[in-house]
Amino acid sequence: MAVALPVFTSGYVVYIANLLLVFVVLCLGLHIVIGETGQFSMAHAAFYGIGIYASALANRAVDLPYPVAMLFGALVAGAVGLFIGTLALRMRDIYLALATFAFGEAMQWVFANWDSVTNGPNGLRISPARFGPIEILSDKQAYPFVLFFCLVMIGLTVAISRSRLGRSFRAVRESEVAAMAMGIDVRRARIVSFGLSAAIAGFAGGMFGLFQTFIHPDSLGFQTTILVLTMVVVGGLGSIAGAIGGAIVFGLISEVLRQAPQYQEIIYGAILILFMMYAPRGLFAFIGDRIREARHGR
Amino acid sequence: MVADSAAPFLNVEGLTIRFGGLTAVGGLDMAVAKGSIHALIGPNGAGKSTTFNCISRFYTPSAGRITYDGRDITRMPAREMAGLGIARSFQNLELFGELTVFENVLIGAHVHAGRSWRDAISARPRGIVEHVEQLLERTGLTSYAQTKARNLDFGHQKMVEIARALAIRPKLLLLDEPAAGLRNREIAALDRLLCELRERDGITILLVEHVMQLVMSISDRITVLSFGTKIAEGTAAEVRAHPAVIEAYLGRDAATAEEANHG
Amino acid sequence: MAPPPFPDLSIGPDMDLQLALIFLQQGIASGLVSGSVYALLALAIVVIFKTSDVPNFAQGEVFMAAGYVALYLFVFQKMPIWVVLPATLVVAFLAMALFRRFVLDQVAKSAKDLVYLVIATLGLSYVLKGLVRRTGFGDTPRSFPALVPTDSVMIGQASVTMLDLAIFGTAVTVMAAFFWMFNYTKTGRAMRAVGMNPKAAQLVGVDLRRCHMLIWGLSGVISAIAALLISPKILMTADMGSIVMLAFAAAIVGGFSSLPGAVVGGFVIGIVENMVGLFISSRAIVLAPFLAILIVLVLRPQGLFGGKLTIKKV
Repeated sequence: MAVALPVFTSGYVVYIANLLLVFVVLCLGLHIVIGETGQFSMAHAAFYGIGIYASALANRAVDLPYPVAMLFGALVAGAVGLFIGTLALRMRDIYLALATFAFGEAMQWVFANWDSVTNGPNGLRISPARFGPIEILSDKQAYPFVLFFCLVMIGLTVAISRSRLGRSFRAVRESEVAAMAMGIDVRRARIVSFGLSAAIAGFAGGMFGLFQTFIHPDSLGFQTTILVLTMVVVGGLGSIAGAIGGAIVFGLISEVLRQAPQYQEIIYGAILILFMMYAPRGLFAFIGDRIREARHGR
Repeated sequence: MVADSAAPFLNVEGLTIRFGGLTAVGGLDMAVAKGSIHALIGPNGAGKSTTFNCISRFYTPSAGRITYDGRDITRMPAREMAGLGIARSFQNLELFGELTVFENVLIGAHVHAGRSWRDAISARPRGIVEHVEQLLERTGLTSYAQTKARNLDFGHQKMVEIARALAIRPKLLLLDEPAAGLRNREIAALDRLLCELRERDGITILLVEHVMQLVMSISDRITVLSFGTKIAEGTAAEVRAHPAVIEAYLGRDAATAEEANHG
Repeated sequence: MAPPPFPDLSIGPDMDLQLALIFLQQGIASGLVSGSVYALLALAIVVIFKTSDVPNFAQGEVFMAAGYVALYLFVFQKMPIWVVLPATLVVAFLAMALFRRFVLDQVAKSAKDLVYLVIATLGLSYVLKGLVRRTGFGDTPRSFPALVPTDSVMIGQASVTMLDLAIFGTAVTVMAAFFWMFNYTKTGRAMRAVGMNPKAAQLVGVDLRRCHMLIWGLSGVISAIAALLISPKILMTADMGSIVMLAFAAAIVGGFSSLPGAVVGGFVIGIVENMVGLFISSRAIVLAPFLAILIVLVLRPQGLFGGKLTIKKV
């Protein structure tokens, strides 16, 4: 059914679908670093931006199939992520959050001021993606590819989570001390989780380039990071289903709210507050609890 | 199994641990024989946990040497302990609370799960899962396998810590107050388990403990610390009657009375 | 006279020693003025963090909203200033205290983790910004009339206005009053106790709920004062809450759990900000607080005055 979407609906709906799928991947990336490993990275938009710019520039510079540019974007973002992860080793909680936030803002400044590379405050035009003879020129054309890459990323995240590496992430989150006693290299786990998270965000940046023609540094700051964070928390921190669900539900809410710009911020803030007051463990945990209560008649 | 006293399995020599100006442990010598259960006891503040944390490499001593199975481990990083076959539990429980009991113990086997890439990718690596299930059975946790560790009652949580430590397939098991907070029934079960580990599996056990009934029941050898120095060492009977030990726990008058009784 | 040889510090045109000295004095003077306001905001942030471990991400919006309340009362309702000032402070106090009591207490009940409280403060920041924009005042930049003459005064070779001096003086007085309250009154002692050990504080009779409300209310009042002080100097917009980043940077530089550190940090950030603007470029000013945060957290995470960050005891 999801695959047939573009046939039955308008271009706008498909555009929204593409956007939501990108947010799903962004949420998966944030899930790895916060949900699995417990490191509060507030730099997510920076890695997303690095992926967008790197893949767009690679696409322009070299005539290779677009997926190569996407991988390049992911690699560059991942490398920066590994570096930040190394710096983040000595930090925890609020300090880590503030430091990564500062890095994110500094990165946004770089996007807006490194004119020779990013075209500065005017933004960068993104050339269409090419796979051999196919050139993607519309949302409807891009959709199957965006969907495919999103599914690949979901599969990858699930595989990581179920693996020994994923177990080491969760161990580090729950108790670094015990993790060390179990033979887990806590430092390595933390750095790798940062790198993976950044690479996934960078890959989402590449996906962005599949259907968008323009990127402006204004959309690569704290607002976007917070949006992804709230999606993950509202969906349910610590679960992949929560990250995916949160992206879709909250992404739809954001889009709907954009129709009422006067109330947009008030409602958005109110939703956040209400969720934190009554369903902090996330939408799916909340629904799950209610269903369980109804069944067992507690 | 006869304890081999010729070459101590775990040998602590001249261990000194200083924090700033305070000497928590001064010049401690302690030899743990292979395949034995060795207890480290003493009143509060004696330096037992500090010594313990040094042996398990969470602290680094200011002076002294720790030798394990012939190898100098004094400055090795804590995360290499599991690979050497040294496992530990924690005084204040360091469970992976949000994870299930099964996953807690599975992570204990982390050092073994990396051996093949198949094991590394799998959520339920074949050989390891059997090992985990056996451990859960031995510690009476099978019915709790899918329960989140933080939802268990205290006694079961302590068992999870031990099961998790055993997943490392240790040759040396370090237990930090395993009986604290347990009910008598649970202490008896712990007693049986530890003896079984010694007899059947040949595991050497070093425990820090306050619960005397357990210490006296299972220990082959006991080292007594007070204010950072060793004041007595020997079998349970020897230690129990030792005047310095009685004084440390009960005061001078009690020690004098005891001496009068036995002198 | 040929300019004396001078190490090339700036990207701008050749700068001789005399000019550099003037810029230095100007940077310090202007920096101390804006720094005093950052110090107040940093104080407001740290007093909450120190007593409840929550970084209040709505601090900037509370600051902004307070400024708009004052603007509304003074300019649009034409109320006299001696009514507007206390009214604004009361509104700020109530808003923060009630938010703590009705929202955050509920969040804390539902989930123990700090992240949920932090996101709740983020929600508050959106709500406040949205409300201000909704009222129509936030659509165009506005200015708050100065209540003190803006004549210039020379301090050494630096030029400041009477208003600047008034801002600095008031800010320092408020800070002094705060420290006196915090360290020498019963209420202040209760707050400190709550920050150090809430359970013990409760045992000796401190009403935790009331104390937290007071702390948040106090933080709101301090932010409102900061807004009242700086509004005449800047263009008021619904985004002016972004100044909070400078306050966070100040708090971090000073050591996030140190109140005197917050004050020192505020002045440091104010001076650094002005220096960057004078010696490098105005484009770089925005970057300065973020670089400051990064440098401090990577090199010396406890800031200037924070105690050593403790490693967990096993």
